[in-house]
Amino acid sequence: MKFKLCAVALVVMLGAPSAYGQSGTFRQAHEVGSGAASDLDPISKGRVFQITEKIMSRLVRPSLDGKPSADLAVSWSANADATVWTFKLREGVKFHNGKVFDAEDVVYSLGRVQDPKLDSPARATIKMIEKIEALDKSTVRMTLSGSFADLPLQLTDYRLRMIPVGSGDTVKTSGIGTGPFKVEKFDAQGVTVLVANADYFEGPPGLARIEMVGIPDAQARLQALLGGQLDMEVAISPQSRALIERSNRHKLQQIPTGNWRGITFRTDVKPFDDVRVRRAIRLAVDRKGLLDLAVAGAGAVGCDTPVGPLDQYRLDKICPQDVAKAKALLAEAGYPNGIDIELQVATIEAVWPALAEAFQQQVAAAGVRVKINQVPSDGYWSQVWMKKDATMTRWGERPADAVLNEVYRGGASWNESHFKDAKFDAILDAARRELDFDKRKARYIEAQEYLWENGGTVVAFHVTVLVGLSARVKGLDAVENNTIRWHLVKVD
Amino acid sequence: MLRRLLLGLVTVVLVSVIIFAGVEALPGDSCTAYLGRDAFGQRLANCRVELGLDRSAVARYLNWAAGAMQGDFGVAANAGKNIAAVVGDRLKNTLLLAFCAFLVGVPTALLLGVVSALRRDKPLDLLISTISIFAMTIPEFVSATLLILVFSIWLGWVPGIVMASAGSPASAFFPEIILPVVVLAMVMTAHISRTVRSSVIEVMEGDYVQMAVLKGVPYWRIVFRHALPNALLPTINVVALTIAWLLGGVVVIEKVFNYPGLGRLMIDAISERDLPVVQAIALILASVYVGVNLAADLLTMALNPRLRTLRSRR
Repeated sequence: MKFKLCAVALVVMLGAPSAYGQSGTFRQAHEVGSGAASDLDPISKGRVFQITEKIMSRLVRPSLDGKPSADLAVSWSANADATVWTFKLREGVKFHNGKVFDAEDVVYSLGRVQDPKLDSPARATIKMIEKIEALDKSTVRMTLSGSFADLPLQLTDYRLRMIPVGSGDTVKTSGIGTGPFKVEKFDAQGVTVLVANADYFEGPPGLARIEMVGIPDAQARLQALLGGQLDMEVAISPQSRALIERSNRHKLQQIPTGNWRGITFRTDVKPFDDVRVRRAIRLAVDRKGLLDLAVAGAGAVGCDTPVGPLDQYRLDKICPQDVAKAKALLAEAGYPNGIDIELQVATIEAVWPALAEAFQQQVAAAGVRVKINQVPSDGYWSQVWMKKDATMTRWGERPADAVLNEVYRGGASWNESHFKDAKFDAILDAARRELDFDKRKARYIEAQEYLWENGGTVVAFHVTVLVGLSARVKGLDAVENNTIRWHLVKVD
Repeated sequence: MLRRLLLGLVTVVLVSVIIFAGVEALPGDSCTAYLGRDAFGQRLANCRVELGLDRSAVARYLNWAAGAMQGDFGVAANAGKNIAAVVGDRLKNTLLLAFCAFLVGVPTALLLGVVSALRRDKPLDLLISTISIFAMTIPEFVSATLLILVFSIWLGWVPGIVMASAGSPASAFFPEIILPVVVLAMVMTAHISRTVRSSVIEVMEGDYVQMAVLKGVPYWRIVFRHALPNALLPTINVVALTIAWLLGGVVVIEKVFNYPGLGRLMIDAISERDLPVVQAIALILASVYVGVNLAADLLTMALNPRLRTLRSRR
């Protein structure tokens, strides 16, 4: 033991630790979510978005307050019924390989997203675009299949990034884009090295170099942050929060997001096909209690709306627990002695087990007896979710229109509650057609109210992400990483 | 001898069958693991055809086995890379880690074992024994986490996590490799030093040692000339077992320290259902286990004339 301590001390005296912590280099980890199949094609299934967000630009990006703002497109306009959109592109922008960015690249990049052969997961986000044409070098026209007033917002999707025309076969490893950083070496499972793009169109970045390290294990990432080997770690668990807050070498950002956790019930099977049963379960839940128990209060609660707390179309309403009314509804639906639910829980999402148990306790008072069925994480999405009657669910942030259509529109491929309601779909259609912002907002609110009355999903809470930073990091916007302006980040 | 070699081969084949069946029995396959929520309908079917998962498990195993026998381990299902190349780097890294741990652990173990045997039941022996038993019983992930907390987070002396890429040269792993080596060496030292201790104690009580004492042979000469060579023989097998354990036991260590070796690759490959990679690693680990044990037996036989003659007489 003594000998080993000496050995450690010896190596330390030889000055070994100076190998880490040079100024000008920012280190961040990613979880290598796609394993060996990770790549830099922004629209592939294996894209490492923590890297593509630093090396490629979109046409439109979200501003700090969530509104569409100029990126590679500087301005846009629509015709009277929002079916034809014209985008004016930024001029004089160069890709990392020297090629000048123009309208052909836009047609190519978005065309790839729509290519059925590539089968991009992003395809659904722009399926309303029927035709994309280059009018001249710096003008693009998009013709839609129907009215869609929020097309610019839709184009802020984190995957819709521009790559040079014809680079589809090489982009997986080259990562050539127009972003503030360019790829020097790509190694998803090891260290990916990005260097500053001095020609970036918003001015040279503040960092000389970014190293993106693949570390699949969350505990290892946390330890690396605490030990000074990383400058940023995006998902600090509520339990580890105090470690960051107590350290004087670190700081904590709290970022409200549209990411949500919940429990979903199939509205096409008994007993959940009865809307009164769904209402009863919703009324039996105390959402603030779920939030406090599962994530120590780091989140926001609402009325089962999947729309994030900062979204301009969010329904802001408080829905208190009402056990008496829940019981009455169950009795009215023909279940005076309550109902039995078998809830499928895996550990893919760390908060699920705690969430499920808190739910079990809360609804018991209303006569809803929950049996928790622990299932393997492997194969959960393919064999349990959307197949069993009651399952745990989680979603990443999406704009209001996207989440409402992807998760609740009748027949949508990820409609987890099998919710099929022509009236609800009609509200969504009307919202897309509406060009006046206030009226459009009223429609989306109406859609969320409708879900509160009829939907099959309990949205427990929206997550507030805790971001741990080393104290030397400056200028990092306290927003979701999709919105961060990476060229402004500096380190001491 | 030939019989032992054959038995070893049979073991390796059995291991590969069991591993294949085991991974096959897990829910999901490499397509559902890769596609996640997108794993349904045409997309899932296409992926399965592309990776050849539409064939039966037996057909896939035989196909793989036929290739493996010719030295072709196939391509990794998920990245389409040649497995020999993927596994090669990782094997090199794991060997580096095991070698460093061995280099630190074995001499320390011998020293501690001999010292505590010669100071039997004295305070020094009790101290060494207590620490060894702790090192043996505390799970590696606990001691690893504790060491990271103390030496990396509180004191900031050494890096806590290995960040070097799999393909980096050995020099790039310093100083990041220090903590994983220390943890591995600790467990190893504990096991070996306990064996050395009891073995030395036994020998020191032998008649010929007493004889030497009576003859007036100097103490150090008794220890190094007469006792140690005999005492170390039984240790060879423990060392061999420890080497085999090193290669398998690094799995936990590699995960905790994010070390890009075989163990982490194995865990990743299992969660990605990348059967060809899992199979290749299992084969390597099984071969090492069998090989090291065989070598240890031969070495013991070579060093112990009694065992040798016993064999040939039979």
